[in-house]
Amino acid sequence: MIALAAVLLILLALMGAPLFAVILGAAALGFYAMETPLSVLHINLYQLSDSVVLMALPLFTFAGFLLGEARTADRMVRLSQAAFGWMRGGMAFVALIACAAFTALTGGSGVTIVALGGLLFPALVKAGYRERFSLGLVTSSGSLGLLLVPSVPLLIYGIIAQQLSQQLDMPSVRILDLYLAGLFPALLMVALLYGWCAWTTRHDPVPRQGFDWGELRAALGDMRWELPLPLVVLGGIFSGVLVVSEAAAVTALYVLVAEVLLYREIRWRQLPGIMRESMVMVGGILLILAVALALTDFLVYADVPSDLFAFIRTHVEDRITFLILLNLLLLLLGAMLDIFAALVIRVPLILPLALRYGVDPVHLGIIFVANMQIGYFTPPVGMNLFIASYRFRRSIGELYAATIPFMLVLLIALLLITYWPTLSLVLVR
Amino acid sequence: MFVLRWLHRLEDALIVLLLFTMIALGVWQILLRNFFDASLVWIDPLTRHAVLWIGLLGAMIASRNDQHIRIDLVSHYVPPRLRRWLVLVVDLFTCGICALVAWYSTGFVIEEMDFGGQAFAGLPSWLVQVIIPLGFAVIGLRYAVLVVLGLLNRRPQPVEAPQS
Repeated sequence: MIALAAVLLILLALMGAPLFAVILGAAALGFYAMETPLSVLHINLYQLSDSVVLMALPLFTFAGFLLGEARTADRMVRLSQAAFGWMRGGMAFVALIACAAFTALTGGSGVTIVALGGLLFPALVKAGYRERFSLGLVTSSGSLGLLLVPSVPLLIYGIIAQQLSQQLDMPSVRILDLYLAGLFPALLMVALLYGWCAWTTRHDPVPRQGFDWGELRAALGDMRWELPLPLVVLGGIFSGVLVVSEAAAVTALYVLVAEVLLYREIRWRQLPGIMRESMVMVGGILLILAVALALTDFLVYADVPSDLFAFIRTHVEDRITFLILLNLLLLLLGAMLDIFAALVIRVPLILPLALRYGVDPVHLGIIFVANMQIGYFTPPVGMNLFIASYRFRRSIGELYAATIPFMLVLLIALLLITYWPTLSLVLVR
Repeated sequence: MFVLRWLHRLEDALIVLLLFTMIALGVWQILLRNFFDASLVWIDPLTRHAVLWIGLLGAMIASRNDQHIRIDLVSHYVPPRLRRWLVLVVDLFTCGICALVAWYSTGFVIEEMDFGGQAFAGLPSWLVQVIIPLGFAVIGLRYAVLVVLGLLNRRPQPVEAPQS
């Protein structure tokens, strides 16, 4: 009976039921089977008001929407072009850097393709790069930077891990540590991608640009109000003056002042609309997070992770095999699920398992998000594929083909990140 | 129609107001702590509850156009005629789950009301929690409307969730 209902829920999920409803259904079913009164669901949902850190999610998202609405993307491309355009494969490097920086600033990623892709794709083609290469580069860079401060997925991982740490015996997972741990893996990805870009275009007739001090100065001047922002966020968080939620409040206010009062690219009249749009997205994520907290409570209460561990231990003995299987599973799910949903559903199940195999929770967070980043453009439902297909008017099939080489490069990066924990943990432990 | 427009305006206004409050109080708290060596105890629980309210209000607004996060295989790979029936089943399910949660949550909040506890700053705890049953009731109702529209074959297409 219960098993049948569970199968039905999975079927509904595949039919496109909103994931919050599916997860709620699963939690309700579980509590019902354990004869717990269902008003427990209310208590679980109310946990959404437990965490101060969570405040960072709406604030960073709003700041990201503002930056997406203003002409920040143009300024960023201009600046990175002036700074790096002279290098071999310069425009490709510009694309990587601009995408990583913009994704980091805006927290998510869909908007990166919309805002930057439209500028970078024609610029790449005009600079002499092959069209298919450019398409693949822009589409796969759309999720680069997901590991950098103030990444929202890392934040969400940290919140769930903190909730779990109340019940599990594990080392602390501070949001700050996650951000520190993400730095080198993110740089590794950029470095590998750039290396591949430079190698694959080595015979292409791409003219090198000259370096122009005047243009660099002008581009810097153009960005004068936005350049201090990373300093405010990074400096505030890493110096310990601001906790993450406070840094988010400062960021939101700063961006508001910069775009509305200083650049005057967003009018006061537009503000309520932008606020509303960003909060609708936040609402979608928070709702999933809330119901996932309910499911987590059920899973821990019913001791499911222990059972799962007992089952898996008979088949998987060492940490490396566990991590290989974990990566396969994450990639598979990452291709199917929205990243935020994927994150909140998987962490409560996998974190307790990983701890028993001796994986550091901070390292696990980096593995999770690195996987998700690739999931953004894996067929069949990688979100960025659809956004790019819509934006550049290309068929999905064409985009699959264009992104595959980039995906392979990122898979190599993922392998390195997974099996070389020091890369992530060197700044933390 | 009038009631609907009124509800939409109320949701929009509240969510914008809450976000403004959150930014202002967040920054104000930092200033207080660093320059005046003081802090206001009610700011912290207020912003935490603002997160809860923003979450549910945002989810309510998102269900106006069925903008919720989902595994989107259907709209890309299923032919329209079959899609219509799948969407109907899915809407019905969503509506049912929301009704279930709204029902049990209402029960809890009524108990809380009888109990008369306080959340913070003198606010009764039922008041800060009431958004949960209210939110799920509204989301459930919106999906009920989608079910009816689906039966009449007049349901709007699901909208892709906006991404940051």
